[in-house]
Amino acid sequence: MHPTIRRVFNAQQSGLILVILLLGAILTVFAGSHVDRMTGRSVNNFLNFHTLTQTATDASFFAIMAVGATMVIISGGIDLSVGSIYALAGTTMAMALRSWQFSNPFVTVLVALMLCLGIGLLCGLANGVMVVGLRVHPFIITLGMMWVFRGIAFVMSKAESILVPDALTSVVKTTFGSSSALYPLPMLVMIAVTALGAIYLSRTVMGRHIYAIGGNSEASRYSGLRLGRILIGVYALSGLTAGIAAFVGISYYGSATCGDATGYELYVIASAVVGGASLSGGKGSAINAMLGAVLIVLIRQAIRQLHFDQNYEWIIIGSAIVIAVVLDQLNTRLTAKRLAKG
Amino acid sequence: MADNPIIRFQGIGKRFPGVQALRDVSFDVARGSCHALCGENGAGKSTLGKILAGIYTPDEGELIVDGKAVRFGSPSDAMAAGIGIVHQELAFCENLTVAENLCLGRLPARATFVSRRELLRRAREYLAAIQSKIDPTRLVGALPVSQQQLVQIAAAVSHGARILIFDEPTSSLSQIESEHLFELIKQLQTQGVTAIYVSHRLEEIYRLCDTITVLRDGQHVGTKPVTELDQGGLVQMMIGRALEAYFPGHLQAKPGEELLRVENLSSPGKFENISFQLRAGEVLGFAGLVGAGRTEIAEALFGLDRLATGRVYVNGKPMPLRHPSIAMRHHVGMVPEDRKRHGLVLMMNGRENTSLPTLERFAGLGWVHPAAERRVAKKYFDLLHVKAPSIESVAAGMSGGNQQKVVLGKWLAADCRVLIVDEPTRGVDVGAKAEIHGLIDELANKGNGVLLISSELPEVINLSTRILVLRNGQITGEVSRANASQETLMRLMAGLCA
Repeated sequence: MHPTIRRVFNAQQSGLILVILLLGAILTVFAGSHVDRMTGRSVNNFLNFHTLTQTATDASFFAIMAVGATMVIISGGIDLSVGSIYALAGTTMAMALRSWQFSNPFVTVLVALMLCLGIGLLCGLANGVMVVGLRVHPFIITLGMMWVFRGIAFVMSKAESILVPDALTSVVKTTFGSSSALYPLPMLVMIAVTALGAIYLSRTVMGRHIYAIGGNSEASRYSGLRLGRILIGVYALSGLTAGIAAFVGISYYGSATCGDATGYELYVIASAVVGGASLSGGKGSAINAMLGAVLIVLIRQAIRQLHFDQNYEWIIIGSAIVIAVVLDQLNTRLTAKRLAKG
Repeated sequence: MADNPIIRFQGIGKRFPGVQALRDVSFDVARGSCHALCGENGAGKSTLGKILAGIYTPDEGELIVDGKAVRFGSPSDAMAAGIGIVHQELAFCENLTVAENLCLGRLPARATFVSRRELLRRAREYLAAIQSKIDPTRLVGALPVSQQQLVQIAAAVSHGARILIFDEPTSSLSQIESEHLFELIKQLQTQGVTAIYVSHRLEEIYRLCDTITVLRDGQHVGTKPVTELDQGGLVQMMIGRALEAYFPGHLQAKPGEELLRVENLSSPGKFENISFQLRAGEVLGFAGLVGAGRTEIAEALFGLDRLATGRVYVNGKPMPLRHPSIAMRHHVGMVPEDRKRHGLVLMMNGRENTSLPTLERFAGLGWVHPAAERRVAKKYFDLLHVKAPSIESVAAGMSGGNQQKVVLGKWLAADCRVLIVDEPTRGVDVGAKAEIHGLIDELANKGNGVLLISSELPEVINLSTRILVLRNGQITGEVSRANASQETLMRLMAGLCA
């Protein structure tokens, strides 16, 4: 990368990290502390393992999806159906396990994982095939499929809440042998998915092609790229991440309903956009999308821990999203100016 | 020259990035005349028309309309001074009706509600002024081009335009539609309208115009009454510059085996029955005026035109015309005409643009090897002398010449046997141009075949082994290098009997 661009690119990432650290510091200072009953020591209300892990866990469910959504956004599209794919994958998995009743916990977990990933992938493929084959704007296709997928989950589950086997919960809520009530697995999955997404985007031919299509689809076609195939792949990956999130989320909470993850699609898009993805395509990164998700959760956390009126949560989060994007655009425009000069 | 000209151009100059489009252009247009602006592709005739219409502002010089110096910041300024333009790209809001478009900006309204009856009444009045019977309630987007043009004329006349600029008005009209247009222009003239007619179609100019101004390379060559200038003389004025003969090395070699054979290539409305062949070591030039179908043929060969029919063989093997990736598999590449729209992903850097068509070659199992990619990008940056801080420089920040070199490099890196180059030196400075010419020669020398499309006659003549001349989507002649002169080509291109 060109040094200037690299600097700006990093500036954006470090900017996000800076804001997250700043917010964390504010929380640490103002959240107060309490006395731990077991040890008798004073513990900061925010800066402790339990709260930090919990914050990361809260972020993980939609941060995982944000990695896939960012790829869609980089390609110049949008995916509004990820929340519904989450619900459909989750309820299908829960119902299947209820009727199959495997005795072996290993088989249970494996089947659950395959089901969630498979359904996520299939739903994403359906989105992609329709976007490419019908030549309808992805906003419309995924808006429609958002209701269709959730509707299928609703009809199948008859709006019941379905418990999942304990085998799943114990895997996702593993404490890795420690005695404390820390469940780091969702966070680790989030980090792993982000890392894989980042590598995929920056190091593979497909990843490069996604940026190219989003940057200039005509020039990509004139360079012999198969736009249709690439786009179908992008939507499939977005569905896949929704499936992963469903496996982790449903197992963590222990039950599935067709109303799970309602409205998550907007959090997911917000995370990608706060992370600097441009809705006109060609720009975005997996790591930044994850950081965007963490930032949004942290803002929510701040409202609660600092005892702001919780009724203002949506207003504050909404404003934060707009401010983040305005700042990012300002940054881009300054870069363009610098480029034009140099 | 008239004593009281309606328009006087005085030392007009205009620069675009990388090219001086106009330089010190001065001449007068007589009141009530029909004044032709002629010249080769890229001579600056359209630019001059657009300056008069307020679409561009000149960098130098003065525009004097009716004795007063004017400076237009926008087309509406020009409109207020009584100047309208009929121009293909400057269309209307296609989603609105004819009536709404005609009254746009001055919609008759009563208490914020548009008065439909008044709107239609006015629109009919405007259309009647040019004897047109177009239904004003139709959507502009649903009208054929010829009628959209009439709406433009009606709009200009309704604004009280006394000067109308016609920019290549017949380029997408049928013969009959053109006849109607000519009649309308003649009739507008009797109403005191001065017409500026920008075209390179000589027969139209001789039918319609009384005065001809010729531009060449952005400079004014001369303004003469039609009666004093025959077609041969006009062609001479348009070509003008002497051909600096240049003999690229590939001419010495004997053409090798056949690389590309095209049989009866047709695409509805674009070109028909195009047949030719290209041998190894040859540069085949495509000459023709804008709209002759050269770029369209190139795009069809590269698999970008789904409607194209015909048989194409590369190295003796049939090549389906479905997708660029299929063409690339047959070792056919194309450097497109519009580098910003089709050649580059502007937000990507030089390395990423260079490797875009061939990224799989620098990758194992879908995994890009950065070192291999960098090496190739660097190789072509050095070979082409791209002036940029590094291969990591973003394409958007490069000059036109350097962008063009990146596009060329990207296709050189693809190792094509047949390379189509469409206007490879447009908007490129002199030094870069010579380098690009050298590269094309070298490609041919190495036993590849090059299809060269260029609007610059000296470029086509100097570089090509043979030249095909196209006109209105058909091949009108094949000229060998030995017999090629600017004059013979220009005559074939313009459809004059040689």
